[in-house]
Amino acid sequence: MTAYTICVFTENTIGILNKITTIFTRRRINIDSLTVSETERKGISRFTIVIHHESREAVEKLVRQIRKVIEVLAVFGYLNEDIAYNEIAMFKIPTPIGAKPLDIETINKVHKAWVVYWHLTYVIIQKTGTEEEIFEFFDYIKPHGILEFVRSGRVAVSKSPQTLVDYLPEAEWEYYQ
Amino acid sequence: MEFNENQTQDAQIAEKPAPIATPELINGSHALIQSLIAEGVETIFGYPGGAIMPVYDAIYDYQEQVNHILVRHEQGAAHAAEGFARISGKVGVCLATSGPGATNLVTGIADAIIDSTPMVCIVGQVGSHLLGTDAFQETDIIGVTIPITKWNYQITNPDEIPEIIAKAFYIAKSGRPGPVLIDITKDAQQKLMSKPFLHKKCEKLLSYRPRLAPKEDQVAAAAKLINEAKKPFILVGHGVQIAGAEQELLQLIEKADIPAASTLLGLSSISVDHPNYVGWLGMHGNYGTNVLTNQCDVLIAIGMRFDDRVTGDVSRYAKQAKVVHIEIDPAEIDKIIKANAPVVGDAKKALEMLIPLLKENKHEAWRAEFKKFDAIEDEKITQPELAPTTEKIKMAEVIRTLSDKTEGQAVIVADVGQHQMMTARYYQFKKPNSFITSGGLGTMGYALPAAFGAKVGAPDREVVTIIGDGCFQMTIQELGTIAQSGLPVKIIILNNNFLGMVRQWQQLFHQKRYSFVELQNPDFITIAKGFGIDGHTCGAREDLNDSLDKMLASDKPYLLEVLVEKEENVFPMVPTGACVADIRLE
Repeated sequence: MTAYTICVFTENTIGILNKITTIFTRRRINIDSLTVSETERKGISRFTIVIHHESREAVEKLVRQIRKVIEVLAVFGYLNEDIAYNEIAMFKIPTPIGAKPLDIETINKVHKAWVVYWHLTYVIIQKTGTEEEIFEFFDYIKPHGILEFVRSGRVAVSKSPQTLVDYLPEAEWEYYQ
Repeated sequence: MEFNENQTQDAQIAEKPAPIATPELINGSHALIQSLIAEGVETIFGYPGGAIMPVYDAIYDYQEQVNHILVRHEQGAAHAAEGFARISGKVGVCLATSGPGATNLVTGIADAIIDSTPMVCIVGQVGSHLLGTDAFQETDIIGVTIPITKWNYQITNPDEIPEIIAKAFYIAKSGRPGPVLIDITKDAQQKLMSKPFLHKKCEKLLSYRPRLAPKEDQVAAAAKLINEAKKPFILVGHGVQIAGAEQELLQLIEKADIPAASTLLGLSSISVDHPNYVGWLGMHGNYGTNVLTNQCDVLIAIGMRFDDRVTGDVSRYAKQAKVVHIEIDPAEIDKIIKANAPVVGDAKKALEMLIPLLKENKHEAWRAEFKKFDAIEDEKITQPELAPTTEKIKMAEVIRTLSDKTEGQAVIVADVGQHQMMTARYYQFKKPNSFITSGGLGTMGYALPAAFGAKVGAPDREVVTIIGDGCFQMTIQELGTIAQSGLPVKIIILNNNFLGMVRQWQQLFHQKRYSFVELQNPDFITIAKGFGIDGHTCGAREDLNDSLDKMLASDKPYLLEVLVEKEENVFPMVPTGACVADIRLE
């Protein structure tokens, strides 16, 4: 199974998320993570969708079907090496009296993670990184006990030097050829 | 910064009428009707109800400009709009209320998207303050129709109406056509617009840019393959008729002397009389067209999508051939069959560009190959079916007699099942744009309302619909619509008291375990007469000629029931999962 990151640029309208995800549902492709936010251009949303699939061909077909949604401006399918990507994770870790103290120096310097909230009985640690880095930290912090853990899902930017406007002709080239 | 500024490829541009404007403020319902008029809509198929009542109140004022036809069930409205669209090339329009009214359209919408039929469905919705409250007759029809519409949109503000309706028509009609659903809340229908009504046709959209003219290098690559081919073979799909490319297709096949076969929805795009026409493709298509698909060296698919009913087992389909795929929808390229030379664009534009690049050629020996298979098929299947010695009438002879009597010029609307396959096999289409049927979805009950819609769309043409006894009972209520309109739709029921195609499969693949396929039918003629439609039952071969003559001579709607052999099978047949070359003759 190969990871694919699909970036979809759409008009920001009600129901567009549903129009995109139903294309995955119909083809029984599970979405590993999904993030949506407005781009540098007002009214244009950017979806970052991560899936795992054994067939590149199936992913290419999926991308073409997404392109058919009227509100979609452009779609790109990427392999991990094509993109810079990251996600954020948050960990709620208990700090009861008498427990082994957290090694803040290791957390900061080795894992590049930060405590963003202190409570009498727990702390919240924020960790930014790839899935692998986050799970490395997960394994490190696990002995303290994890009260809650959440990941944001991947955000990704292509390594190509082009801007979004430059991309669109490329999109035309790619999907209409 | 504007997107796509540097793009030059534009969608088809409609002729540019002056925007329609009214100085006084009007409500959403009037805005809707005026927008429809501005889009050139003359006919609406609809059914009123609570959440669409303000629109119906407005239509009352526009009866001079807009012909609203009251159907008997919303599914009938959807199929009638499809039939209308298919024959006229215009966008079919249907109107329904919220909840059950809207959900009753769903089958027709699903049918329209898979058969690329332009349609705009306008449905009422509960007031916007009630959305999401499970209000009376509230259904999330936007959610329901996302996977089966080309586009859908919910209007809650009357000011949006002109722009959205213009967009709806543009999307439905341009590129690969399809259905669009517009959901309008009741308050948006009732409220006054806050600004004067102004309807401007939509000519382009930021995000949706269908390609019409293909790229020159793609056309050149296709031309090279075709010019080098020894055994080229053309597959004609629905896209040819949608693009109006019948003339260009003739030029192509004549210049390069290529045999051409048709998909189900491509039928009638080439006359059966043309020497290069070699027949119909697919599961119940002709013997030669299927077998020789696996012997050609270049397969040229025009406006078709390699449906599984065409390809049989894909892994054994035309593996020896290079594939040229001319298709307007880029998502169809490589979807089923890999294309060596994809040409993305409108069939007419693509063929116009392709023809000058083709060499004049002769492929007589190759074309003669098809004749050999025709001779076998003729002896084993066609002749016994057309000149049977059985007591009961066979479907084939009904269709062929009808074909002869109408000289292959009628609009034929077939429902779904054995009679549909028999119609496709035995009606000899000689005029383009003459065959309407539910191809992709296989919607039983499609034909009666679709034939009515076709007659509305082409009142000067003879419209004959061929329906099975099972199908007929699915939308039988539309006899009321036809009777009320008085339009002379000619209806033939091929009655074998069976769900024939399912029965055939049960016979061939389920050891004749006939599971729920036998029908105890009503007296169809009495039913027709109850609706005020004249009819006749033909049970004997001697009576067939006169019965058809009488039906065709009628200037009113007419129902002809023909009692046909009960357990007839459609052959040839490519069983599911088999290879096209392994087509069975018995």
